[in-house]
Amino acid sequence: MAFNGPVLLKNIPADPAQRKLLHYADYVARGGYATYRKALGMPPADIIKAVVDSGLRGRGGAGFPCGTKWTFLPKDLHPRYLAVNFDESEPATFKDRYLCEWDPHILLEGIAIAGFANSIANSYIFIRGEYHKQFHILEAAVQEAYDNGIFGVKHPGTDIVHNCYVHKGAGAYICGEETGLLEALEGKRGWPRIKPPFPAVAGAFAKPTIINNVETLACVPYIVENGAAAFKAMGTPSSSGPKLMGVSGHCHKPGVFEEELGLKMSTLIEKYAGGVKGGKYKGAFHGGISMGILGTDQYDAELDFDIGRKYGVLGLGTACVTVFNDTTDMVRVARNCVRFYAHESCGQCTPCREGSAWAHKILNRLVDGRGRPKDLDLLLEIGLAQGIMPGTTICGLADGTNWVIKTILQKFRGDFEKVVKSAVVQGVAVTVGGVKV
Amino acid sequence: MAWLVKDRLQPYQPTPSEPYLTEAIRKTIAEKYFPRYPRKQAALLPLFHLVMHEYGFIAAGAIAEAAAFLEISEAQVQDAVTFYEEFRLSPTGKHVVSVCRSISCEVCGHEALIKKIRDVFGIEPGETTDDDLFTLFEVECLGLCEMAPAALINEEICGNLTPEGFVATLKQLPKEAKHHGNGQH
Repeated sequence: MAFNGPVLLKNIPADPAQRKLLHYADYVARGGYATYRKALGMPPADIIKAVVDSGLRGRGGAGFPCGTKWTFLPKDLHPRYLAVNFDESEPATFKDRYLCEWDPHILLEGIAIAGFANSIANSYIFIRGEYHKQFHILEAAVQEAYDNGIFGVKHPGTDIVHNCYVHKGAGAYICGEETGLLEALEGKRGWPRIKPPFPAVAGAFAKPTIINNVETLACVPYIVENGAAAFKAMGTPSSSGPKLMGVSGHCHKPGVFEEELGLKMSTLIEKYAGGVKGGKYKGAFHGGISMGILGTDQYDAELDFDIGRKYGVLGLGTACVTVFNDTTDMVRVARNCVRFYAHESCGQCTPCREGSAWAHKILNRLVDGRGRPKDLDLLLEIGLAQGIMPGTTICGLADGTNWVIKTILQKFRGDFEKVVKSAVVQGVAVTVGGVKV
Repeated sequence: MAWLVKDRLQPYQPTPSEPYLTEAIRKTIAEKYFPRYPRKQAALLPLFHLVMHEYGFIAAGAIAEAAAFLEISEAQVQDAVTFYEEFRLSPTGKHVVSVCRSISCEVCGHEALIKKIRDVFGIEPGETTDDDLFTLFEVECLGLCEMAPAALINEEICGNLTPEGFVATLKQLPKEAKHHGNGQH
């Protein structure tokens, strides 16, 4: 396992002063689109096989094997669509934005190759509404690609014309859920759909659809160019390849860095992000808030797809780390996260809509110093009742609420007990409605 | 926003002599966006981005016109429009200031920004300054975490904010220019 320099960020210098937006000509001058031309000479099945063999797993959070997803498309059912998930709304995640802000063509090349391999008719890049600047960059880049015959041309040997469009969302976290994204693409409210049917069979406009994250597709050119073995040489056996990792929060040099999967979080924070700022390390979200929190004794956790099994969190998520120093009040962190879910719940499923809102109220009470001793158990009970895993909701948004509440309460129970204790000592919440609680 | 019920009773708007969906908007949608999708309904988000850019909010009349234009019912348009945070049903100030309140920005000092704005301009999130200069919103993660605390002023990214510096920027916002938050060119 060895990481020999950047793969995805190869065109983006680490020094901010030297970064500049790569236009089509710049990208081609650095060898861009050569892999696409090469891919056009390969049988599509070979490309898909290379992606399957590489072990490339989805970079958007769930970590589903990308090549396997491609093989789910029913044979001879056309048109097929590719939806590119650029609705990067997970708190503290900004890796895709960074990539496309400077090097949009690496994504477009990935789309072009995936489009050819899967005989895609239309590719829709669904970018979140708040990314105004990146939307304009991407639109311009797509136009350049059209002008140079990357899009708007037939896949060799077929009559399918591959088009690529940028579709802008309008501010809703839930549109990052794959079926919520499809609903938004169709001009409806972004309510996740009940599965089955799965998008590979009936997705956008009820046609077979693949949904891939930006970073996942950006990995495809490297795999096609260098082969599955080269990709597998990076990372760990279960988690191959490079990964964009963001660091924000209490650190000296926040930003996006590229390393192989399996990197220790402590190395990421100290070697790349300049170390913890303003105190000692206390905890960190390692993959957006939905995956749960890593505790004080889990500083050395390896960032790979096994992290959930090893460290009591949901999974790798987006591998964008938010660091907290020892001055951070974890009750406030929990409140911020739960408020996010209460705000972003789409409202379809009662456990998520009501559960997150009530959990937010309880956390408000705790932060305001009016907490009751039994609030902690009540909070946990509400948290555990929601999500796909207890089987009470359609999509995974509520699992985020569940895991945030569960892991913060487990790993930082002391912080919660302290606020409850001080409330009880001051006699603030001893009675509710005249009844002693 | 999502499930939080938006106020469907929009403020009274005099019926304009010209339609909300101008000839330019209809032309852009018909020529650029309709060919992209198998159904006209899919052009709903691009259409309302254009409406937001033109007027800064979505009037009831625009919803009715859009329904006819996209060949769907008004209820379907209302259903979709009220779901999305960026589509506002009532007018804002001349500028829209969206301050991020999610986790990275909170631990890096988002609250101090809001407090300073409250002290200087006397407004809470969701309110507009008396001179109609800007409307302040608190929004969830903007994906600008490496420059936390961060905000958007209209479409412009503002990062690594300090309370004093941010207030100074806000005071210098152009008094006349009418920009809106969700433009799509």
